Amino acid sequence: MGDVILRAERINKDFGGVPVLKDVDLEVRRGEILGIIGENGAGKSTLMKILSGIYQPSSGRVLVNGEPARIGSPIEARRLGLSLVPQEFNLIRDLPVYDNVFLGAELLTRAGLLDKEAMKARTRELLAQLSVTIDPEARIEAMSAAEKQMVEICKALAFSARVLIMDEPTTMLTKVEIEVLFGLVRKLRAEGMTVIYISHKLKEVKALCDRVVVLRDGEIVHDGPAEGLSVLEMAQRMVGRELGSIFPPKSEPGAEIVFEARGVTVPGSFEDVSFELRKGEILGFAGLVGAGRTEVAEAVLGLRKRTAGEFYKDGKLLRIEEPADAVAAGISYLSEDRQGSGIVTGFSVAQNVTLVSLGDYCRSALRLIDRKRERERVQGYVDSFRIKTESLSKRLENLSGGNQQKVSLAKSIDTEPEVLIVDEPTRGVDVSAKHEIYVFIGELARKGISCVFISSELEEIIGMCNRVVVMRDGKVAGVLEGDGIDEERIMFYATGAHEEVAS
Amino acid sequence: MKKLLLALLIVATVATMGFAQVKRIGVSMPSATHGWMGNANWWATRAKTDWEARDKNVKIELKFSGTVNQQVSDIEDLLVKKVDAIVVFPHDTSVTSVVEKAYEQGVYVVVLDRGVSKEGIYDVYITNDDEAYTRKGMEWLAKQMGFKGNLLLITGIPSPIDTIRTDTIKEVCKKYPNIKILDVQPGDWNKQKSTTVMENYLQKYKQIDAVYTADDDMMLGAMQAYKESGRKDIKFFLGGGCLKSVIKEIMDDSNPLVKADVTYSPSVIATSISYGVIGAKGDKLNPYVYQVRALPRRVILPSELVTKANAKDFYVPEAPF
Amino acid sequence: MSLSPSLKKLDLEKYGSLLALGVLFVLASIVGRPYFLRPENLINVMRQASYTGIIALSMTFVIISGGIDLSVGSLAAFVASCGVLFMNLLVKATGGNETLAIAGGVAVMMGLGLCCGALNGLLITLGKIVPFIVTLGTMSIFRYLSLQMANAGEFASHSQRFGEFGMAKLFAFKAGESSISLPVPVAVLLALAFILSFVLTRTRYGRYLCAVGSNARVAQYSAVRVGRVRFWAYAINGLVIGISAALLAARFNTVSTPNFGLSFEMDAIAAVIIGGTAMAGGRGSVWGTVIGVFMLQIIQNMLNMAGLSPYLQGVVKGVVIIGSVYIQRQKQ
Repeated sequence: MGDVILRAERINKDFGGVPVLKDVDLEVRRGEILGIIGENGAGKSTLMKILSGIYQPSSGRVLVNGEPARIGSPIEARRLGLSLVPQEFNLIRDLPVYDNVFLGAELLTRAGLLDKEAMKARTRELLAQLSVTIDPEARIEAMSAAEKQMVEICKALAFSARVLIMDEPTTMLTKVEIEVLFGLVRKLRAEGMTVIYISHKLKEVKALCDRVVVLRDGEIVHDGPAEGLSVLEMAQRMVGRELGSIFPPKSEPGAEIVFEARGVTVPGSFEDVSFELRKGEILGFAGLVGAGRTEVAEAVLGLRKRTAGEFYKDGKLLRIEEPADAVAAGISYLSEDRQGSGIVTGFSVAQNVTLVSLGDYCRSALRLIDRKRERERVQGYVDSFRIKTESLSKRLENLSGGNQQKVSLAKSIDTEPEVLIVDEPTRGVDVSAKHEIYVFIGELARKGISCVFISSELEEIIGMCNRVVVMRDGKVAGVLEGDGIDEERIMFYATGAHEEVAS
Repeated sequence: MKKLLLALLIVATVATMGFAQVKRIGVSMPSATHGWMGNANWWATRAKTDWEARDKNVKIELKFSGTVNQQVSDIEDLLVKKVDAIVVFPHDTSVTSVVEKAYEQGVYVVVLDRGVSKEGIYDVYITNDDEAYTRKGMEWLAKQMGFKGNLLLITGIPSPIDTIRTDTIKEVCKKYPNIKILDVQPGDWNKQKSTTVMENYLQKYKQIDAVYTADDDMMLGAMQAYKESGRKDIKFFLGGGCLKSVIKEIMDDSNPLVKADVTYSPSVIATSISYGVIGAKGDKLNPYVYQVRALPRRVILPSELVTKANAKDFYVPEAPF
Repeated sequence: MSLSPSLKKLDLEKYGSLLALGVLFVLASIVGRPYFLRPENLINVMRQASYTGIIALSMTFVIISGGIDLSVGSLAAFVASCGVLFMNLLVKATGGNETLAIAGGVAVMMGLGLCCGALNGLLITLGKIVPFIVTLGTMSIFRYLSLQMANAGEFASHSQRFGEFGMAKLFAFKAGESSISLPVPVAVLLALAFILSFVLTRTRYGRYLCAVGSNARVAQYSAVRVGRVRFWAYAINGLVIGISAALLAARFNTVSTPNFGLSFEMDAIAAVIIGGTAMAGGRGSVWGTVIGVFMLQIIQNMLNMAGLSPYLQGVVKGVVIIGSVYIQRQKQ
């Protein structure tokens, strides 16, 4: 173990009197990978924002290399060698890689003009150091999430960071990309870099980190080597109680086919996709990022124009041109992109829940919103989903990710759908909220609602689904059922290995 | 901010503390959007200064407005302040009803130009002679051109006044079949716009003898374009409205292209204010008038041709434009 | 019970701008002494505010939807021109039945307003052109169509009663020396504010409008017909402009094509913004706009009464617009 490079002493932080961090003491050593885990709202992000200069602590101090340091802004943090790779990338889509890498600290020629050649050359060096093949002149908008992440890391290196803080770095990555990232992080460690790694994905933390710190309700409840700490133990420390199986028992679907897609093609996204969905069934959609799963869901909703294929509900042909048609047919969708297309952050809990189903609340002669009924129904969801909110009129931007997701789920089922499509329902959600969401979905299936379950987390696909459609490159690669659903078989289809076997 | 407003309040209170016989005259006119109106604003301010210096019992309040809506509000505000006389230089006839209201309330009303669409709702109506304005100018220009040649017109913002002027020019030209009007384009009473119009003319027409613009501002713009082109064909530029610099050139005979101007005096507003003051006080204009009703009901101010011979009478060195 | 905190909060937000209005009112009665508090003056202030005020109400809808409408002033001039022309035709055709002619003229203004607003809406939703560009274009089109029709002149109405209608009062009585009255445009402003506020807060359309303005993608995914919601914001705006144009044309009893409705868009947008509606859309209040409208007019009136130069009045207006947005930003 190296010497202590960064030390936080008795850090307190409160927002409007509500304590978020309580007397946090943390030591970070040179050349280690430190995992920080905790439920949403446990204070991980706040702590990292203090270390990277975005927030100021209410009390306590931070020492860098033993010297007390005032980290007043992200720029000061960078100067001290602390760089944050945020969950939402801070890259400008229209600019090329090298401009993004040097944004805010552009290299200049003697005449005071941008020295593009120098910036390109330096970017190329840094990219080579990371052993990635990205063109320094490529534009960000054309890049995959993994590539964008490499650019963010490159940005940190350009400022000669000594501590790299990575916030949920694998959310948008495929399994292969995650492996590449891990290799890179290990390589950086070997070169003496310190990495603080924040994640929900306990398995990844287990696999990558040297040391694990667990935060719960703003306090550090565990600090010790990763070795000898099992994933289950991590989860228990995060939640502070014993955990049973995270998934509810699977129920038996009915025999009747509720929904069917036949030969659907959306050019550029997927082609000739067919599947059927039985009553009370949870049908998984697995596959790598970009395999076309979300696009299928969006086609069912009428958000994407299809050039071929039909949808049937209870054996009858559906005419779906826009989302309203799908809702009328009893189909509902929980978007994977919560902030972008799932919830209105400026709307209250109640306004969000009833956004799709608002017509049902306007049954009076004047077609006014029945606010009493709205209140009662939404209160019902708040109670049964255990949505943590002070009031129904609280704006969603003030709720944690897990609670936002529950509101989003309530919104999708308030139309009383017969077919519910959930897309990455537990993305960015902590363990206990995850568990609750699994239970709700299980209950819905038991009540006879048919569910399409799109997810990149194989664990939950395996734990939740009766059958699984595996997609690859816009086509259905295979369908798995019952005991046939396991990680190996899913990856076999998802990665295209079946094609090689066949040929 | 509050302090400033409080200071203003004190000033305002002091300023409005009444003497018994004080006559208060409200003036509402367009704000300065082009040179001529800028001059008119200056004349209004000068009339205010002159009268208030001359007579302690005269208070004149000036309201410059950007739009006709604002002008109507201004007049209403003046009425609330119970002015004794009101002088209105209208944006357009939309002010008719509020002027009528003022007249009905017994306020002495002076209206300029063709601003109201109803007769008998004012005490005095003053106007410049729009027809003579271009008639005199065109007759002079025709003579200078030897009653032949190619003429280009740059007009103002399309409006009733502008139409009368342009029509008069065309009418005069009909008498002289050898004068050919090559083109008529609006320059919007705007120097920059006029420059652009002239640049296009110069591209389009190979032989131009004279350019007649609706005011001096636009003439200067057009002349600028001509000078830049390096051409030598144009012999005369004529504008109107007597911009200070133009009168000076005529007086000094320093510009061979500009030999004359026609008055369309912005001082008309100052004269109107005087009528308002005299009317409010119930004075007579001069001792030679025998009527009980002292002031004429309609006043048409002449438009006069300005040449080297009389230019110094029209030169007001302290005017802004 | 769970919604009562929201009511409290709403009241507080409303209360905040009301408070600002109150403070301004007190300030105005000092600065504009002794004229400001005269009933005639207060009635003037309300009436002066009402023409752009009415437009600002529906502009609130447009801005909440995430758009902007620059064409309002030109649109008012265009529909007023057509309406007065039609009215004059009717006066002639009916042999002087002015009531019928006025009704016809006003109906034309409202109908044409709706159509022109709908045109804006169609270009924005079906044509997929950003609102700023579309309305910048129609601003020019409507103004120059009117100028072309009148040869840049005026359309005077041939109905004396139309002018009387413009100055009409809902009720009027004498209280001592001053007369107290409720002019028709003020009544229309308040009635429309009531209706539109109700639509915004209590109907599905109002909720959808906020959703579309806040995040159009979420709205689309939530089965909201985004295009339709946007379209109606502009169509309603057109209809309301028609109402305002009729009142204004009646007040002048003439439509001067170069000047009618000039720079209304700026005044309406300023009132909406001062009233607390977010320029980016998604959030706003109709009554806030009413307060914004009155605040702007009171500022102008009090400075006018104090005899401040109109150019400085413009400076104060600008300061107030920027200042109020700054204060709102701080509150968040």
